[in-house]
Amino acid sequence: MKLIKRCIERIVETILTAGGMITSVIILLIVIFLFKEGFGLFNSPSVEKGYSLCVNTENPIEKLNPFQIKEIFDYEIDNWKNVGGNDEEIILFRFEELFYRYSDEELGENDEFLSQKLGEIIRATPGIIAYLPTEYLSSDCSGIKVLPEAKISVGDFFGRKEWIPTAIPAPQFGVLPLILGTLWVSIFAIAIALPLGLGVAIYLSELAGEKMRKILKPTIELLAGIPSVVYGFFGLVVLVPLIQKLFHLPVGETAFAGSLILAIMALPTIITVAEDAMQNTPRAMREAGLALGANHWQTIYKVIIPYSVSGISAAVVLGIGRAIGETMAVLMVTGNAAVIPHTIFEPVRTIPATIAAELGEAPSGGAHYQALFMLGCILFLMTILISIAAEVISKNHPQRKGI
Amino acid sequence: MTAKTNQKIAFCVFRILGMLVVGLLFWILGFIIYNGIGVISWEFLTGYPTAGMTSGGILPAIVGTLCLIAGSSIIAFPLGILSAIYSSEYAGNGKMVQFIRVMTNNLGGVPSIIFGLFGMALFVNTLGFGDSIIAGSLTLGLLTLPLIIRTTEEALKAIPDSFRTAGLALGATKLQTINRVVLPMAFPNIITGLILSIGRVSGETAPILFTVAAYFLPKLPTGIFDQVMALPYHLYVIATSGTDLEASRPMAYGTALVLIIIVLLMNLLATALRRWFSKKVKTH
Amino acid sequence: MKNFIITALFFLATISAAQAQRIKGSDTVLPLSQKEAENYMKDNSSATIIVTGGGSGVGISALLAGTTDIAQSSRKIKFDEKKKLQEAGKTVKEIIIAYDALAVVVHPSNKVQNLTREQLEGIFTGKITNWKELGGDELEIVPYSRETSSGTYEFFKESVLKNKNYKNGIMSMPATGAIIQSVSQTKGAIGYVGLAYLNKNVKAIHVSYDKGKTFVEPSVTNAKMKTYPIVRPLYYYYLTKDEKAVRSFVDYVLSVNGQKTVQEIGFIAL
Repeated sequence: MKLIKRCIERIVETILTAGGMITSVIILLIVIFLFKEGFGLFNSPSVEKGYSLCVNTENPIEKLNPFQIKEIFDYEIDNWKNVGGNDEEIILFRFEELFYRYSDEELGENDEFLSQKLGEIIRATPGIIAYLPTEYLSSDCSGIKVLPEAKISVGDFFGRKEWIPTAIPAPQFGVLPLILGTLWVSIFAIAIALPLGLGVAIYLSELAGEKMRKILKPTIELLAGIPSVVYGFFGLVVLVPLIQKLFHLPVGETAFAGSLILAIMALPTIITVAEDAMQNTPRAMREAGLALGANHWQTIYKVIIPYSVSGISAAVVLGIGRAIGETMAVLMVTGNAAVIPHTIFEPVRTIPATIAAELGEAPSGGAHYQALFMLGCILFLMTILISIAAEVISKNHPQRKGI
Repeated sequence: MTAKTNQKIAFCVFRILGMLVVGLLFWILGFIIYNGIGVISWEFLTGYPTAGMTSGGILPAIVGTLCLIAGSSIIAFPLGILSAIYSSEYAGNGKMVQFIRVMTNNLGGVPSIIFGLFGMALFVNTLGFGDSIIAGSLTLGLLTLPLIIRTTEEALKAIPDSFRTAGLALGATKLQTINRVVLPMAFPNIITGLILSIGRVSGETAPILFTVAAYFLPKLPTGIFDQVMALPYHLYVIATSGTDLEASRPMAYGTALVLIIIVLLMNLLATALRRWFSKKVKTH
Repeated sequence: MKNFIITALFFLATISAAQAQRIKGSDTVLPLSQKEAENYMKDNSSATIIVTGGGSGVGISALLAGTTDIAQSSRKIKFDEKKKLQEAGKTVKEIIIAYDALAVVVHPSNKVQNLTREQLEGIFTGKITNWKELGGDELEIVPYSRETSSGTYEFFKESVLKNKNYKNGIMSMPATGAIIQSVSQTKGAIGYVGLAYLNKNVKAIHVSYDKGKTFVEPSVTNAKMKTYPIVRPLYYYYLTKDEKAVRSFVDYVLSVNGQKTVQEIGFIAL
């Protein structure tokens, strides 16, 4: 009997230990899955999988970078000399055009003459650049030069400014505007929320009567409970038109609308954490301040705020963390334009909004899909850094330094 | 300027700020309630969407959200409570427990869209659940774990050590002490945490986008591998798509109101339970 | 207890597997499929039809993965999508269920009424940035686009932009409804939407594909007469082996009643 009991005790303990590790395991799993998909991106070809770019052998061009390819296929670059070749006009050829040039009979019932016709076209046109499925490259390769397949580079991913994930033939994955857009919106949100939140925290902790506090604090906590999609809806129907009218802007969907909504959403976190920090100021310190002849306000900003500064910073960091990751509300109000913002009154596109808007439409396993997971990794790392920063800051409490 | 006028000005500013923020809350709530209250009726709550989702009701979305609440609770409650018991009762105060705490905090800071990505990669694709209640519930369950763990841990810590030593002194094993003494005493506060987590689950959109949510599904789910509609996703959909946005606005206000009511009810319930239990414990 | 749960799970899973048809894909076709499904289920109370959006590409890859029965699409299946299905030993059947015209819309206060394809290309690729250049007021042009891989986005790119890319950092809206909403609020805005979405809060531009000789108003009649140029078919795709299961619903959509719904929604009946 005793043995069984001890056995059960052991088993339960093991289960509990396993349970204790659960969050660590989940984080590990998230890292594995996100990074496995995400890093696949840098192994993907910069031109869509299964397709190649071909030129005539007489063309001295050896390779093109994704950006040049995009410019060529947008007719922005129309002469080979602009990309280091001869002075010759660029002639674009997309695979689908084959079906306009030749009838189905000419291509054969099972497309057996397809690659032959492709070869003919490429050989006949010196200035051509052809975008076609690799499997239809003619077996007889004379006269055709296949441009070497390049991988999507880390430098392009983090350094370029174009986010056009569905551009054909070379999708543009420049995440710079997305990262900057995310930070831009979040930082402005905090810039709005911090003074407000701090003010309310001071009011709650120092000025409001006990009764008022008892009503206000839970009310503000309620604000944290409202779902983000409701905030987004409110922003969409009220704030966006209001901002447009108030500031006479060409568009209402701006980073400012996003920041405002995020600020409202981050307020409860900031207020609660900052107020707790102020409440924790020892009575002796306040009384010392007052005893030295300082009035209440002087005590607040000379004693209480400096004392609780680590708690307040933690509140700020947590607020930024919440703002950076917020998805739905931002998706609904910021206009989602992938440009590097110069003012707060321009549309921006954030990382979470990009994932939410595009993941459903990105073919599973493709470069676009992987790029979105890579964005997920970036977001994940940002928030983990922020969590750790908050941890370090709140540990750095003056009490522990023996004051 | 004297210190006194300084103080006056500063305090005045803070009072205004306090009122401003509270006013803001009431503005948002008031706006939704004002526009939504007229829409809510028995038919709206128990009917199916009709006429291209511009009229009718939102029953499938309500039921879907309830399914997700139930599913994620089944997953997250036991796991979260186990984890909290381990770190507060068994793990002591070593490096290990600090590591766990840091990890829990980190997980709490991970944005919900990341959970959506992860849920899609693991549950929908790798494990092959497809878009289903089970995939959505698992994703939401993991999302609420940190909240549950934190509140449960706090509840357990609030029990004075003397109760534990008393239990052990009476000859009970550690497990028995936890089971018979600590848990029942911490129960009210644990429940509060669980209810708050339900409030969170019912409002999340990003994690269910790619794991469960259906645009239109006018039948109630019959199994855990079914897709469902859900209130937050429904609100997002009717606020941004549909051929006639103006005609579907009332539906959107109504849905937003129902969503808010559910969340607020959960919060109020949590507060009320906490009060009720704490009174009970005192009288005993 | 554990056994019970497992059996219960299996039981529930088997019930759910019965008789639900899933339609997934294009957001453009979404309202149509939704309404068709609604009416169809009114007549056949035993049937269940689940309609989900996500975009044309999603629908077709779901067909490949077996997670949908019908893929709704606002563009023709792509060459390599067909190839992939063939490799998996699956053949698809293509049904055109309706036609859709894309209307270019601006704010009602905008004086500009006519635009050529070339001008539209200039606007959406970022070459033309002010309404003044098009005979309108001195006002910045704010082009709105759909999200990158919706069928509408691709069709507009193909038909109007002649496969060029949209200007970098164009405003992209998660759904067509949102474009209408934004265009109706923004003075300098221009956007493209399905004919079904047109309402009095926005003004539809008359479009010319012959360098300005004739400008045609987007309307159901003009689209039917083929005088309006930006028209595309809307498709259902399903696997030939599923024919039996889905045929009844597809037939309903093609029937007189089904096509009446097509018109009610604002698409062009066959």
